[in-house]
This record gives sequence, C-alpha cells and structure tokens, in this order.
Amino acid sequence: MAGITRESILRKLLLQRHKSSRLWAALLALCIGTTLLLLSVMIWWNFSELLSGHGDNDSLGSTFLTISKRVTDDKMGKPELTIFGLGDIAALRTAPQVQDVGVLTSSRFHVYATISVSMGFGTDMFLEAAPDRFIDKIPSGWQWHQGDNDVPIIISNEFLSLYNYGFAMSAGLPQLSASSIQSLTFTLKVGEGDRQDRYRAHVVGFSDRIASVLVPDSFIAYGNRYYGMGAISMPTRLIVKARDPSDKQFVSYLQQHDYTTNAEQLRWNKLRSVVTVVTAATGILSILLLSIGALVFILFIELTIARAQQSITLLLQLGYAPRYLSSFMVKRFFPMLLGTVMVAGIVASGVQYIAAIKSRSLNLSLPHLPGWPVWAALAISTLLLFILVARAIARAIR
Amino acid sequence: MQLSLQQLVPIPLREKVLAHESQVWNKDIALQNGYTFIQAPSGTGKTTLIHILYGIRTDFTGRVAWGGQQINDLSAAALAALRTTEISVVFQDMRLFPDLTTWENLEIKRSLAGNIAEDEVIDWLAQLGIADKKDSLAATLSYGEQQRVAIIRSLLQPFKWLLLDEPFSHLDKANTAKAIILIDNIVKRNKASMLIADLDANEHFSYTQKLVL
Repeated sequence: MAGITRESILRKLLLQRHKSSRLWAALLALCIGTTLLLLSVMIWWNFSELLSGHGDNDSLGSTFLTISKRVTDDKMGKPELTIFGLGDIAALRTAPQVQDVGVLTSSRFHVYATISVSMGFGTDMFLEAAPDRFIDKIPSGWQWHQGDNDVPIIISNEFLSLYNYGFAMSAGLPQLSASSIQSLTFTLKVGEGDRQDRYRAHVVGFSDRIASVLVPDSFIAYGNRYYGMGAISMPTRLIVKARDPSDKQFVSYLQQHDYTTNAEQLRWNKLRSVVTVVTAATGILSILLLSIGALVFILFIELTIARAQQSITLLLQLGYAPRYLSSFMVKRFFPMLLGTVMVAGIVASGVQYIAAIKSRSLNLSLPHLPGWPVWAALAISTLLLFILVARAIARAIR
Repeated sequence: MQLSLQQLVPIPLREKVLAHESQVWNKDIALQNGYTFIQAPSGTGKTTLIHILYGIRTDFTGRVAWGGQQINDLSAAALAALRTTEISVVFQDMRLFPDLTTWENLEIKRSLAGNIAEDEVIDWLAQLGIADKKDSLAATLSYGEQQRVAIIRSLLQPFKWLLLDEPFSHLDKANTAKAIILIDNIVKRNKASMLIADLDANEHFSYTQKLVL
C-alpha cells in the first residue's frame, strides 16, 4: 500500500507520543550550552593569540618585558653594576614563567640625528638592537648589510606619544602621525673624527614591546666594531618573553634580583588573568548548562521510549531486534543533535567574524574563523553527546 | 527442527502443575515434526507454556531447546532472528497494536521478513472475510476480527514451527473453518510443524501427536 512503510509505522508507534515543546526546550538548552562552551573557548583562544603576540598584534605584546638592573644611589657612577653578565642571563632563562631571553645590544659609538634641513631639528641619540624574534612585527625592509646607506629604524610608540603630546606641543613643532613619520628621512651622523659616516634612516615600524630606537642587529654589530673601535658591549637591558609575568614567583624573582621592568606590560597580564578567570567561569557555566541540556535531552528520549514501551515490547515479540529499534531511534534523534551543534558552530563562527572585523578598528588582528580549539571543543562535545544519547537509547530498548 | 523439553516446570505454577499428572510439565519430551495438539484445561499453564516456548518468559526450571539450542542461552539478536525466520505465534490475547490499522498491523510484520507479497495478504484478508477492515484501527475491531488479523500476521514470515494459543476462541464455525484452511495451507507451504494449545479436544487438523498438559 502506497505511503505505508515500516518506517512510517515505526514513527507512529514510537515517536508520536512525545511533547514537541519539551523537545524544543531540550534542544534549546543544548544549543545554548554548546554555544556558550564554544564562545568561552573562543574568548580564551583569542586572548591567548593576542596576548602571546601571535599574528600581527603589535599592541598587545604583553608577555614581552624589558628588564634592567635598578639604578640606586649606591650604583650611581658605577655602570658595571648595571650590566648583565652571562651568569645573570643564564639564571634568568631558568626563572619561573620565562620562555626566552634576548639581549638588547646598545650602540657604543656616537650618533647624531637630524630630521631635515627645513625643520632644523637635530639631536644626539643612541641606538639599540634586539633579536628579530622579539620584535612585535618584522616590517618590510628590516635588514642592513655592510655598505648599505639606508638604515631602517623601529621606534617605540611611547616615543611617538611623548613627542606628539609633550615635546611638539611645548616646542611649537608640528605633531606627526605614524605614516608621516615613516615618510620622513633622517640623517644619521655616526662616529667621530676619521671614522665618521652619514646614513639615511627611515622609520619602518613602531614597537609596543621595546621602549627604544631599534636598528638591525647587523648595523649595531658593525658600528660597535668599526666606529666604537671594537668596544665590547655588555647588555644593560634584556628583553624577556614570559608566559605570565603577573605570576607571583616571577615578580618575586625580579624583586630578589633588584630588576626593574615596564609595569605597563604587567598591567596587560593582570587583564589576562582577569580574562582567564572570566573565561574559566564562562566555561564552567557552559559545561554545566550543556550537561543540563544533555540530561534534559536524554530524559526526553527516555520518556519517549517509556511512553512507547508497550509498542516496543510487542515489536520485540514480533521479531524486531533491539539493535534495529535502537538504531531507528538514534537515526531520529541524531540529526536533531547535529542540527543543534551546527547552529552553535554557526553562531560561534559569526561571533568570531564580527570580533575579527571589530578588532581591526583597534589595530588588532584576529582570524575570521574560530581557531582549532573551538572546533576541537565542538567535536568533543558532539561526540560525547552522541555517545551519551546512543547509550541511553540502547539502555532503554532491551 | 525438533523442540525438546526437559523437566520443564514454570516457577510461579510449580505447586499447581506438579499437583496433577501432566504429559508435558516436568517430563522429558521431544516434539516431532508434524501437528501437535496440547489439550490444556483452564489453569494448567497453557499460555505460560506457549510464552516459554516463544522465549517471552524465562521464569522456569528445566530446559527448552529449539533444534538443540537452549532458548535461555540465546542473545536478544538471536532470539529476534528465531522469531523472524523459525518460529511464529498467535497469542491468545492477539496482541495487535490498537493505534494501527489492520493493514499497518500486518505490514509491520510482513516487512520484517519480506517473503509474502502484498497481494497475497489482501487475498488472505478476503479469505478470512475481513478485507473491508483493512483500514480500520485494530482497537475498533471485534475480538473475532482481531483474532483473524492475528492469525494472518503469524503467517507473514518464514517459519518452521507455528505456535497457536487458543487460535479460534473468538471465531464461529464458518470462520474457524476458513482460518483452518489458510493455516494448513501456509504451514504445509513452509514445510513447517505446528503446536496448538486449546482447552478442549478438537479435530481441526490431522494431529500427529496429542498431549495433555
């Protein structure tokens, strides 16, 4: 007879006695729980990406700290006491939370910079070099070879702010945007006496991590060797990559050794601690909600099966295998589960996309799609849900 | 396929069935292929016996084996296979799905084995005089009509044994005769055996063995 199939009869026997409002409530709870779980993983992942300085995120290189020895009254006039020895550096590498240590090599030669004739601005200055892996974002043209007349420079964003809001205002000089500074050409007069050269210098980038004027390592090495007459340059400042600089053990290590650091970076890490707590709280809440959603859904299935128990008993007596009936129920409920987690995945992707667009305006870079931990959380939660539901169905139909 | 019983005693009826002489309970018997009639006066455990043989009840002592395989040892899947291809049954209480139509009650069984064509089912409905009840809900059928649907349902699979528990209790003589012809034809077509349990002696079929419960 057309239209009457085993499937349609089984649906009539096993599934018509459930209340659809309860089903929707269970699915909604599951969907909200899964979405919250994905969002909490997403928030955690995005902040990890931003705070660990991955990608193009210049502004939040918060795990990088510059460290120097505190200049006290006793140490004044004794520069050798503010120098980091090899032992200090090796010890710092094994300090709590420390992932990497780099040396900021400073120039040991005379440098005089002039911006341009028309502005008539010139100043003595010093240069530093940091290992490339510690630079926020390597700008294009960040290289210098012996014989090159052009020297790329990275300056600290703090310096730009100091100039624009302090020096320029008080000296009646024009304020400069980041792009206008990059278009300026500096003249660097390097060295003294017989060994003196002029170089053209351009600002090619800005740094949030290192409060200094940076040039490529190769330029400092050449300069110290040639203009500095081979002076050995022991570092007075180090750059440290730390997992969590707000960690008490790390802070205590710095205090014990009388090291100072940039407090602003620590502030970012306090923010990270707050984000971690908020993310963990959201995560726990979402797992709780997801568990409740799963429980309600499983109870709904068990109730549906209990209501159809008489039919199931008779079907088993007629020769239907429990496995067949379980698989029929599983096929009925799994698409609902799949739909629910797909909605959660779509919502999470949408939120990530919006976050990526919004973060652009803050000069941050986030991916347009959720990171792998979000998909891993989705896959694991879906798998767990499927296993729990399949087991509940198999247990109920025996 | 031989059906053998060894010292079979249903636990809830132990005292009752052991109080009188029975040719089945607490005996070692092997039911030969053919038509077996079990005469079972009220209260002697007729339905209990059918349910034990069909694997619905497991509260008994002794052994029940189909073709040498103990029914209690069968897994749920093996039991389902046995009920789909080896043994079929007409329950005394019919056990139809009340919310399904006559046709749906038959189709849910027919589609399981798939060895009987739809046209043949329509033919059988006509033979037993219930063709017009095809689309009626089982709950609205009379007992006699339900019994005829239950009989047809039991024939909608391949089987080696057909168990019948008071199969004609709600049928008049004319309808009983029609049902007997249909059952006899299909059992023979399947080269199967049959066990009928009923209250009183009858000569509905040419029995090869008669036992008193």
